Amino acid sequence: MEFYFGLAQIVGVHTLLGLSAYIVLLTGQVSMAQAAFFAIGAYAAGMLTVLAGWHIVPALGASALLGAVTAGAVGFPALRVKGLMLVVATLGFGEAVRLFFFNFDYQVAKGGIKLGPLGAEGFRQIRFFPENGWTSADVMLFIWVFVILIMALLWWFDRSRYGSVLRAVGEDELAAQSVGVNLTAVKVSAMTVGGAIAGIGGGIFAHYTTHIEHNNFNVLVATFAIAYPIVGGLNSVFGTLAAVIFVQAFLIEGLRDLGDWRNLLFGTLIILAMNLRPQGLFGRGRA
Amino acid sequence: MLDLLQAVSDGVLFGATYALIGIGFTLVFGVMHKLNLAYAAASIGAAYCGLLILQLGAGAPAVAVFLCAFLAGGIIGYLVYLTCFHFIPLANPLAALMATVGMLLLIDEIIVHGTQGMPQNYPALFDDVMLNAGGLTLRGDLLLVFVICVLCMAGLLALLYRSKLGLATRAVSQQPVAAQLCGIRVAKVNAMTFVITGLLGGIAGAMIGAAIGALSPVITAPVTVKGLIVTVIGGLGSIPGAIVAGLLVGGFENVFQLYRGVTERDLYVMLLLFVFLIFRPGGIFAGKGGGH
Amino acid sequence: MLELRGVARHFGGVRAVDGLDLEVNEREIVGLIGPNGSGKSTAVNVVTGLFPLTSGEIVFKGRNLEGLPTHKRLQLGIARTFQNIRLFGQLTVWQNLWVAQNSPQDRAQRGFFARWLGGQRGVRDEIAQLLEFSGLAARQDELAANLSFGEQRRLELARALATRPRLLLLDEPAAGMNSEEIAQLRDRIVKLRSRGMTILLVEHVMELVMGVTDRIAVLNFGQKIAEGTPAQIQNDPVVKKAYLGGA
Repeated sequence: MEFYFGLAQIVGVHTLLGLSAYIVLLTGQVSMAQAAFFAIGAYAAGMLTVLAGWHIVPALGASALLGAVTAGAVGFPALRVKGLMLVVATLGFGEAVRLFFFNFDYQVAKGGIKLGPLGAEGFRQIRFFPENGWTSADVMLFIWVFVILIMALLWWFDRSRYGSVLRAVGEDELAAQSVGVNLTAVKVSAMTVGGAIAGIGGGIFAHYTTHIEHNNFNVLVATFAIAYPIVGGLNSVFGTLAAVIFVQAFLIEGLRDLGDWRNLLFGTLIILAMNLRPQGLFGRGRA
Repeated sequence: MLDLLQAVSDGVLFGATYALIGIGFTLVFGVMHKLNLAYAAASIGAAYCGLLILQLGAGAPAVAVFLCAFLAGGIIGYLVYLTCFHFIPLANPLAALMATVGMLLLIDEIIVHGTQGMPQNYPALFDDVMLNAGGLTLRGDLLLVFVICVLCMAGLLALLYRSKLGLATRAVSQQPVAAQLCGIRVAKVNAMTFVITGLLGGIAGAMIGAAIGALSPVITAPVTVKGLIVTVIGGLGSIPGAIVAGLLVGGFENVFQLYRGVTERDLYVMLLLFVFLIFRPGGIFAGKGGGH
Repeated sequence: MLELRGVARHFGGVRAVDGLDLEVNEREIVGLIGPNGSGKSTAVNVVTGLFPLTSGEIVFKGRNLEGLPTHKRLQLGIARTFQNIRLFGQLTVWQNLWVAQNSPQDRAQRGFFARWLGGQRGVRDEIAQLLEFSGLAARQDELAANLSFGEQRRLELARALATRPRLLLLDEPAAGMNSEEIAQLRDRIVKLRSRGMTILLVEHVMELVMGVTDRIAVLNFGQKIAEGTPAQIQNDPVVKKAYLGGA
């Protein structure tokens, strides 16, 4: 049973990561920076609960805020960079953030031992959950409350005018402008919301793994973030969820017996998926 | 001061490999308006394939290894084209991008499997030669790397501007539909672009191995990122831009390393990227694809 | 309502529009014609703000439009259609119209929250009216990419109308239409004017231009070479020379 709780936790957190990229992808911006906002949320929440003694919920609130603010700040220069250049620019930003945490030391002595991030070593002993008696099931439910709330929020956006405007911008910026859409406001707002979601995801991630380090937020993770919505299809949030379950549950856990070979299979499966169903698992039928 | 010049000179010589990788990214972008994220990994993979020649005869000369990497690169390039671009409809650019990511992961894993994750030594030529130029030490092996890369660039430019295939390639990059109407088989041109960039990539990967002295799967990610940075700084679609940018990034990278050490070096390379994005988003020589 | 004074838009050496003076008065339907490359579409693009002016000024309802971004000009009441239809193909007909509903009138009727995050029910009526006017009610849930060419043209117009403009710039709306469709378009334009719309019609299709406009301006090489009623323009030798080539 523990195993399934753990799997559900991973699926939940990765869904948040994917959803943070989903809303940005709707506007046509391919952002490789979501792992960076995830990282900022992780370190921030960890530091607040471990070093400042906060409860996890306000800590996650701070993660969301920091993620949102950073993403908003990135959103403005991102406007000047079009198309595939944005991929590279956000990739660079993501790497810069990772390298920042690679070099980041902030330790405080608490009850005889030093706690806090320590450069390449990472940030150990993020023990809010165990110290407060949360069981695996508790953590899983906690994560999924957030996942469901955020999925509901994005689903609501999708059915509102905001969702149509986001997609209109993603499809044809010139036409969108010409019917009165303020491109800057729309694109930056999407980035900001994505940053907030990634921040929350990161904060949760830090607490259930209890130890984070720079490599948890590398190019591969940034890639997973956009892979989920693309493989799942940009038509609905359920596509992203489906892709996460597909990847995490079936590939990584279900193929566990194949041992080392499952990593080989992962790349192969993405290639196959994109060739067979380029519009994504839940994409509108067009191939 | 001498240290600085030495760092710059070593960096620029190594930067020629970044230039080749940048050219690979930028050429595919210029012709097909797509990004092949697997390119750097494919190049490193080709370099590993070069090592296979040593399986046949342990005493094989370095040149044989380089040649093998060169050819392997072309084959891998074609495979990437088939798996990521040939079948995926044009209307799904994200799918193609994701497929190249899948390919990147696949190649990476094959390398890790094939070598059990252990770094492999890479042959070099003239690594015992040291030239002296006014107080600067020029390593023979780095010079050879530089020269080979420059020869490749020259070869590519000759191909693009003096051959029929090159003409067809340039036509397709400007007006794919009109090119088709002129009888050019666009799919064939696209495939050839991948083969040619693959050949270049094989050399680039081999040269990286030769310059460092070893290959390891962990270099795939940094080379990918730096190659992309070179492409962007040089201007998407601009080959001269990629050449200049490659040398620039190589040089700066070494200078950053001199002053701030290896751990902070890459952070500054990112900053270099952002400086360019802010002040010259179109790239050094704003290529026509810059605003895509 | 709309005044172009000495408007010029140069692209490097190409003077797409070169010193254009044009006036469009309220509730007028003014036609803008000229051979290919005469600057008609560029004129529309500078009025909507897609390109900045090289020189000259554009005044709309007494207000100089210099520096105003496109989406702000929409707020003032200037809307346009595109010559090569630019619909949001992956959105439905309904959604295409919905995206455009952000005019000051909409803002007066609904608050920020309702306009952005509210559901479809709140705007059902207005959109139904637009669908009715354009004959697209039956296709409202169809993806725009799946519409026929004629339907797409009608949606393009409907979407511009959804922004509740005072001035409508139509960029070659009749291109590719048959006589019956042109007649329907003509009726729609006349109906719009009777409801108070001002229209600048850029067009090649003479059947439409001659039949529906009050006044026509003729461009050649970015400059106005003639202006007058349809009858006057049809008989103007300068115009004939421009279209047919001079001796």
